[in-house]
Amino acid sequence: MKNPVMPASGTFGAGREYSELMDINRLGALVAKTVTLKPRDGNIPPRLCEVSSGMLNSIGLQNEGIDHFLKHDFPFMKEFDVPVIINIAGNSLEEYAQLCREIDRVEGVSGIELNISCPNIKAGGIAFGASSKLAEQVTAAARYNTQLPLIVKLTPNVYNISKIARAVTSAGADAISLINTMVGMSIDTNTFKPNLGNITGGLSGPAIKPIAVRMVWEVAQSVKIPIIGIGGISNALDAVEFFLAGATAVAVGTANFINPLTMTDIISGLEAYLVDKGFTDIGQIIGKVKT
Amino acid sequence: MLQIKADIIGKEEVMPGVFNLIIVSPEISRNARPGQFVHVLCPSGDGFMLRRPFSIHRVVPGRAFEILFQVVGKGTEALSRVKIHDTLDIIGPLGTGFKYSEDIKSALLIAGGLGAAPLLFLAEELVERQVLFYPMLGYKTKTQMLRYIDFKRLGKKTYAATEDGSFGHEGTVVDLLNRTVHNIRPEIIYACGPVGMLKKISETADEFGIECQVSLETKMACGIGVCLGCACVTRQGYKMACKDGPVFDTRDILWGAEDYEKGRASGCGCDNEAPPETDSAG
Repeated sequence: MKNPVMPASGTFGAGREYSELMDINRLGALVAKTVTLKPRDGNIPPRLCEVSSGMLNSIGLQNEGIDHFLKHDFPFMKEFDVPVIINIAGNSLEEYAQLCREIDRVEGVSGIELNISCPNIKAGGIAFGASSKLAEQVTAAARYNTQLPLIVKLTPNVYNISKIARAVTSAGADAISLINTMVGMSIDTNTFKPNLGNITGGLSGPAIKPIAVRMVWEVAQSVKIPIIGIGGISNALDAVEFFLAGATAVAVGTANFINPLTMTDIISGLEAYLVDKGFTDIGQIIGKVKT
Repeated sequence: MLQIKADIIGKEEVMPGVFNLIIVSPEISRNARPGQFVHVLCPSGDGFMLRRPFSIHRVVPGRAFEILFQVVGKGTEALSRVKIHDTLDIIGPLGTGFKYSEDIKSALLIAGGLGAAPLLFLAEELVERQVLFYPMLGYKTKTQMLRYIDFKRLGKKTYAATEDGSFGHEGTVVDLLNRTVHNIRPEIIYACGPVGMLKKISETADEFGIECQVSLETKMACGIGVCLGCACVTRQGYKMACKDGPVFDTRDILWGAEDYEKGRASGCGCDNEAPPETDSAG
């Protein structure tokens, strides 16, 4: 990777739209929106609700399925001079396994990210990420079916994130990304109805950043594999917090919607920060929080 | 689609709480089509962060474009405080816009309250194309007749309804449509306003076999087709207002489905750029 900055899955599509507004070749990696074995329609609208310093979403993993993705989206993504990570979700261990088998055969993939943390789908998703036993099983199933670097994306909707991190590490994960969104809810005080069609949704944005920093820090104490820090990162100093907590890379989500130049601004900002503080390499600040 | 930093060169409070901004952008004014929108980063404040979508209200060709908005939440409140010569971060033009075939001869443009915003741009385009059209405008009361004079200047014959009967037809614009449509006999109806009004207009259009296109209002995050947050329910499945719309042919929209009602019932409550349904003459 040229640098440790990438989009968070689901906030950048396959990069097609944002390629009109920013230079994808400057990114550390491209992370595709979650793809499932079969197409998914997604959830009933409304799917979005802005809340204080954040937003709730319940998209429901709308996507066209792996076949369509490999035929139409992946070829676009691999044209860039940037590693491509494919993010997958399944309803069962077998679906995760099958997706890994199919992607393993594809030329030009740099890694697979397991989404075991989507809060907006009924089966699978978060269910795998909320139990250390299931998280371990799904990671092992994926590991058995691919040689590609395997990243497991964890949910913050658990009591003991370190336990889950250890479970996926022992099952063969090469890296961990965290956090996915926090389950939240918002209610219209005029109609008394929830503001999301799915009633609850995933909270993202600056509102969840302190939770994410804490969880990255906890997981960094528990496992030795690299961590991709995610959660409310909007600028270079937000990213620095994650590096100090122990992340080796960061992913930007909601902030892309607000300013498509967020990631490239963070890349420039990190360089400036390192120079300003007298460092030569981002590695010099990773995990250096003084506690 | 471009992301620009654009200067504001005009600002007018056209009626209490409703503002018109003139924004410099040769690119957007040149490329924009009626029905398209811009995604505006409102000056930061009070805990909100997402961009707000606004229909392109009018263009000064090759130079600038205008947006017309009502203060309904934190985003529009912040936007209402901008000053001339301030700059705004804008992505646009976005969305598909209204469609018109070359040989179209007569159109009916129906606006409820702030629904006038995209339709005035369309009206100017229709004048250019020498299409006869009839504006039909619904308002709450005589003092809130947004852009009535402009439409009257451009259209063949302008119809107006006020809920309190202080001007034109007493009642809603939908009543007015139902009373007059058999006389006007337009080839196509273009409409924008509260969703309840649009649904009723589509029923009338159906009954008379008239093509009907409406501009739908939804919550958006990215505005460019990435986040899939602004889904609308159509006969072809979920479509994104930002990319597939915001203009849809009413034959494609599933209004009646319970899911759709649920989906469209209220929006977010935290901020809504559309006039609340009770505020306009739907």
